[in-house]
Amino acid sequence: MSEKQTTTSAAFLATLKRDLLIAFKKKNDVVNPFMFFIIVVSLFPIGISPESDRLTEIAAGVIWISVLLASMLSMDNLYRADFEDGSLEQLLLSPHPLFFLVLAKNISHWLVSGLPVVLVSPLLAYMLALPEEAYLTLVLSLLLGTPIMSLVGSIAVALTVGLGSRGLILAVITLPMSVPVLIFGTLAVQSTLNSQSPLGYLSLMLVMLSVSVSLAPLASAAALKISVN
Amino acid sequence: MSSVASNNSLDANSEGIMLSARQLFCERDDRVLFQNLDFDLAEGQVLQVQGSNGSGKTTLLRILCGLNDSYAGSIRWYGQEIEEQAAAFFASLLYIGHRVGVSKVLSPIENLRWSCSLKQAVNEDQIMSALKEVGLRGFEESPCYTLSAGQQQRVSLARLLISPAKLWVLDEPFTTLDTKGVAQLESILQDQAKAGGSVMVTTHHQLTIPQLSLLSLG
Amino acid sequence: MWLWFSKLGSPKWFYELSGKWLPWLIAAMVVFMTVGLVWGLLFLPPDYQQGFTSRILIVHVAVAGTSLAFFPLLLVSGTITLVWRMKLADMVAKNAAILGAWFSFITLATGSLWGSVMWGTWWEWTDSRLVSMLFQLFLLLGVISLRSALEDSETAAKACALLSIVGCINVVIIKYSVEWWNTLHQVSSPVSMDTQSPNGPEFWIATLIMIVAVYLFLSVSLILSTRNEILERERRSQWVQDLVSKS
Repeated sequence: MSEKQTTTSAAFLATLKRDLLIAFKKKNDVVNPFMFFIIVVSLFPIGISPESDRLTEIAAGVIWISVLLASMLSMDNLYRADFEDGSLEQLLLSPHPLFFLVLAKNISHWLVSGLPVVLVSPLLAYMLALPEEAYLTLVLSLLLGTPIMSLVGSIAVALTVGLGSRGLILAVITLPMSVPVLIFGTLAVQSTLNSQSPLGYLSLMLVMLSVSVSLAPLASAAALKISVN
Repeated sequence: MSSVASNNSLDANSEGIMLSARQLFCERDDRVLFQNLDFDLAEGQVLQVQGSNGSGKTTLLRILCGLNDSYAGSIRWYGQEIEEQAAAFFASLLYIGHRVGVSKVLSPIENLRWSCSLKQAVNEDQIMSALKEVGLRGFEESPCYTLSAGQQQRVSLARLLISPAKLWVLDEPFTTLDTKGVAQLESILQDQAKAGGSVMVTTHHQLTIPQLSLLSLG
Repeated sequence: MWLWFSKLGSPKWFYELSGKWLPWLIAAMVVFMTVGLVWGLLFLPPDYQQGFTSRILIVHVAVAGTSLAFFPLLLVSGTITLVWRMKLADMVAKNAAILGAWFSFITLATGSLWGSVMWGTWWEWTDSRLVSMLFQLFLLLGVISLRSALEDSETAAKACALLSIVGCINVVIIKYSVEWWNTLHQVSSPVSMDTQSPNGPEFWIATLIMIVAVYLFLSVSLILSTRNEILERERRSQWVQDLVSKS
């Protein structure tokens, strides 16, 4: 009975591994947002126009907004199962800083729901007739933007995790907060299309990402404590 | 409003007092659950919290664990306020609530790997022998949604066997257990008390443990 | 200082003090409001560029300026709720969110009324102020709907406090990013409010009076609704019972 207390990094890794394992076992939670993203994007040409000129114009915005919606939908299962089965209480009672444990959950969530969307985006960009030179910018902007969405959305999910029927409240809270990410993400792609350098926007998004990595988990942790109370 | 009746005579000095609560007051939805609540939990003591439904047993346990902070009063861990040494307190605390903290998607062994590693380093042998001891041999790898409620409770009880925590806070741990499980849990609690650890437990079950004291609410 | 602070946190103390201030605040509000509205809307000389439309601006600018105060207000009360757990701060925050949503809405309404005359359109995405005000309104509605969704009042208080703090940081980022976004899309539309702002000292004096009037209106409505909230939440306490039996 004299086991050593784990280091914070071990607890961080254990949480990351556990969440990835759960995602791997509950494939629906991973596949559905991904499918949702592809289907929503495919609806736009049907609703707006099949002409490639018009599609080129809206491609970046359509992909970005679909990513926002998909990431918001997938956020729902970030803490809910843990809240219902009591694992969240165990997480809160860990002697390790909650910041890192929440960060581990956010990272795992992004790996299974954000990253696949980013990886498939060039294919959808092709279908929306986005010129090839903008692919790299699109992927980079999504690569920086989707984790920001996960981190910020995590706060709203943590605040609403105790609600029996959440309905659309998560969307009402999170979507307005995604405006800055949407603006810089689409502007980056737009500027590549106008043969300007997107580096300015991308570095701004990098700044936003580092600020959210360092602050958002703190807010999520506080929100979880409030919800579990 | 509340009283502490003990089978054991407690020492009057604070030597060996692990957890002490003074003047606890809690109000929920304009209703006072308890007020002026004082009690001490000594090393080697098992404290059973009694009270009718809705008397605030669960709330009291959650307050003591730091999960609920809507109370007034002071809670000390070896003489110091728990807020001031949260990490040390959490490291020596093991809480099992109504919701036992067992993920239904994962197998017992995967569940234990995670929940134990939040506190202390464990190896596979410890987990396997603990699972065997609580009677889950053969179920180590099956997802928990295939297990019965009692078996899921047993997964959480396996954590007790692995845990070196000095303080166990258990909310209704007997509810879904069969008679054999009840007897086993009682002996586990007794072992914890013998080893100098303490237990706070709510249950409507009649415990037969020599180190038992009672705390009645409302 | 500390004593004063904790005293301020007592709903009873606030109720009594605000009861003494209210008549004066209301009187001042009526005076400023009457002067501002009558002079501004009926007698102010028309602007040489905008004509009589400039008179809408007096109300619009005053309301818009005031609605910028809500997120800082929510930030302060949210911090007090989370750090010192003062119940009064939450009562203020609850009503501030609702009032803030109304103010943002009126800002948008008067803004588009003015726009409909000056720009010939009710809504103009190229005006960054309208757009960021729209998102401020959305964020406030989010706070309001979170509060109505959470049943436990203490959880609701803390959750809304946290969301308000996050929202306040966000509103600043949104404001600047929308402005930036706008300068890049400006080419498509030539309209801008700045170049058409009416000049003349009378206009600014009237606006100033109106701003004071609207701030007074804000304080009066916030105090009134907070007093209401106090009576409702403290209905079981002795002093409220005494108050009710007296009247």
